[in-house]
Amino acid sequence: MSRARFALALSLLALPAAAQDFSAGSEAASWGLLGESPARFSAEVVDVLCQITGDCPPDCGGGARQLGLLRTADGVLVLPMKNGQPVFSGAVADLAPFCGQTVEVDGLLVGEPEATPAQFYMVQRIRPEGVADFVPADRFTATWAVANPEAAAAGGDWFRADPAVRGFIAREGYLGLGLETDRVFIEDWF
Amino acid sequence: MFRNLTRLTPALALMLMAAGPAPAQDAPRRIEVTGEMIDTWCYFSGVMGGYDAVVGSAHHTCALWCAAGGIPVGLRADDGTVYMVLKLEGDDPLAEPETLLTVASDRLTADGLHYVRDGVNYLVVEAVTANDGIVNLTHETFGPVPGFAIPEPAQ
Repeated sequence: MSRARFALALSLLALPAAAQDFSAGSEAASWGLLGESPARFSAEVVDVLCQITGDCPPDCGGGARQLGLLRTADGVLVLPMKNGQPVFSGAVADLAPFCGQTVEVDGLLVGEPEATPAQFYMVQRIRPEGVADFVPADRFTATWAVANPEAAAAGGDWFRADPAVRGFIAREGYLGLGLETDRVFIEDWF
Repeated sequence: MFRNLTRLTPALALMLMAAGPAPAQDAPRRIEVTGEMIDTWCYFSGVMGGYDAVVGSAHHTCALWCAAGGIPVGLRADDGTVYMVLKLEGDDPLAEPETLLTVASDRLTADGLHYVRDGVNYLVVEAVTANDGIVNLTHETFGPVPGFAIPEPAQ
C-alpha cells in the first residue's frame, strides 16, 4: 500500500472530529454575526439534557427543555440558540414538534474560536425528512401568544408585553439595580 | 509490521465509519463555578455588540427578554468559560422561566455537575450557594444595550 493510501485511510478516521463545511445548498440569510457560516444539514431533534445525563422525560420535556440537533453526518450534538425571528426568541417552539424525528435544517453556525471551541446554531427553516418544502422557523411568537392571550391581545412586541418580564422591570428597573438607580440613569442618559 | 498495519487500516476505517462516531463526551465532574448569568446568544453571536457590552447592567433588560424567549442561559465564569445551564436547582429551564429571570445578570456561585459534549460546556446546577446580585455595572460605560432596551421617556 502506498503512503498516499495510508494517509487517506488516516484522514477517513479523523473525519468525524474535523470541522466540516455544511454550506452546500444553504439559503440562510446572513445576520453579520461573529464567525457566521451558512449550514444546512440533517439531524435528529433531541432533548439536550437527555442526551447529556440520561434523564429522558417523554416528548423531549414538552417544551420545558433546550433541544438539540444530533447531526447525521458526524454525530455532533449541535446546540440551537435562536430561531429565525428577530425578536429575542429561541428555537424550542420550532423544534419541539419534531422531537425524536430526523429533520433537515438550514441556518447559521455562529461563534468565534477564541470565545467557544464549538459553534452554536440559528435555525432559519426546517423540513421533516421526506417532506418537500421547508417551513420558516418562526413559531415562537405564535406559541407565546397562546400562552399569554391577554398580553398578546394588547398588541405590540411580545418582549415588551410579556407579563413576567414586565413584572421584573417594574420591581427592579431596566438595569436590574432598583427603580431609583433607573430614574437617575434615565434622567442623565436621555 | 508496518505493511500489515497499512493493510488493515482501510478496513478498520470503514468499520469505524460504519459504526458511526462516538459522541465526544467526558464523564461529569462536580464543580463550583462563580460568575455571571448571561444571555448566551447575544454573547456568542455579537448581534448586539462586543463581549464586554452584552453582559451586566447594560444588557440586563435584553437578558430578561432572551431568557423569557427561551434562549439558553449561561454562567460565564471568571476565567471566561461559559457553561450552558441545562437545569437550575431542579427546574427545567423553560418550565419555570421566572427562575431564570430572577438570576439574570447576577453574579453567583453555583454547585453542580459539569458535562462536556462536542466542545460545549454544560452545567446542571444543583445549588446556588451565593448570589451577589448585579455587580457588573456596564451601563456606566455602554448605556443600555441595545439602545432601545430602555424606552425614551415621553417629552
